[in-house]
Amino acid sequence: MKKENNENDAEIAEKLKEVVIARIEAQVPSNYKLYIGSYAGLSKEELIEHVKKGDKIGKFIVKAHLSFMKALASGEFIKTINSVEDE
Amino acid sequence: MNKGILITLPRHDDVTEYLSAFSKEIEQEASERGIKVKELKDGEAVKNIFEKSLINLDYSMIVFNGHGTEDSIKGYKDEIIVASELNENLLKERIVYARSCHAASSLGKLATLGTKNGCFIGYIVPFKFWANSLYAHNPLKDDLARIFLEPSNLIPISLIKGNSAKEASQNSKRRIIKNIKKILRNRTNESAFIAGDLWNNYVGQVLLGNQSATL
Repeated sequence: MKKENNENDAEIAEKLKEVVIARIEAQVPSNYKLYIGSYAGLSKEELIEHVKKGDKIGKFIVKAHLSFMKALASGEFIKTINSVEDE
Repeated sequence: MNKGILITLPRHDDVTEYLSAFSKEIEQEASERGIKVKELKDGEAVKNIFEKSLINLDYSMIVFNGHGTEDSIKGYKDEIIVASELNENLLKERIVYARSCHAASSLGKLATLGTKNGCFIGYIVPFKFWANSLYAHNPLKDDLARIFLEPSNLIPISLIKGNSAKEASQNSKRRIIKNIKKILRNRTNESAFIAGDLWNNYVGQVLLGNQSATL
C-alpha cells in the first residue's frame, strides 16, 4: 500500500513538472529573465532545464507554482484581489 | 539615535544592479524631505564599513539591497554584512527593510526579539522579480522589473513620508495587488506567470517588531 502511494506521489510530481514546463514554454517570452535569490537571471530555457532536472531551483519553481495554484483554488487569491480597489 | 537612512548598494551582479538602480527613487524621496542618507556603494557595502558607518552615524533606518539567507544579509560580492549571532544586535531598535531573500525568517526575528521601537520588514521567501533583458543596461526603463520593484520601494518611501511600519508594509502590499490586477487586465500571454510571482512576494513579505515604528 505504502509502495503504491509512493509511486502515485512520484507520478503526480512528474505530471506537475510537465504542467510547469508547459506553462513556461507557452507563457514566458524569450527576452524575459527571472531573478530568484542569488541565481543569475534565468531565461526561459534555463527555467525549463532546472525544472526538468528537479534541482534546488527547479523544485522551488514547481513549489511556487503549486502554492499559487492553491491560492487560486482556495479562493484566497480572488478574495485578496477583490479587497483592493482599482485606482 | 539620529534620523537618517543607511542604504547598501552593492552592484556586483544583475540582481544587485537592479535593486541599487531602483533605490535611487528612495534616495530622491529622502532628499526632497531633507532626510540624510548614507550610501554604502559597491565595495563599501561590506561588514566592517557597514558597522563603522552605523556606529558613527547612528541612523534610525537601514535599507539593505542584496542577497540573503534565513540568517544573513550579504553585501558586495556576497560578503556577509549582517548575520544572526554575529552582529544582528546592531539592527535592534532601528527600522530595517531588507530587500533580500529569506532574511525575515530567522535574522529578522532575532533582530526584533525584545525590541521596543525597532522593526524588520523583509521576506520569508525568495524575493522574486522578472526583468526584460533588453533593458539590462538601463534598469529604470524596465517596466517589467518596475512592476516588482516599485511596490518594494514603497516600503522605505512610505516610511520617509511619515507612515508607520504597518502602513508602509500595507501600502507596498496594496501596490502589489494593484499591479497584479493591472497585469491580469492586460491579458497577455505571460500575465498569469507574472501574477504568480508577484503573489510570491505578497505572501512572503512580513513585518516583525513594532508595527507603529516611524522614522
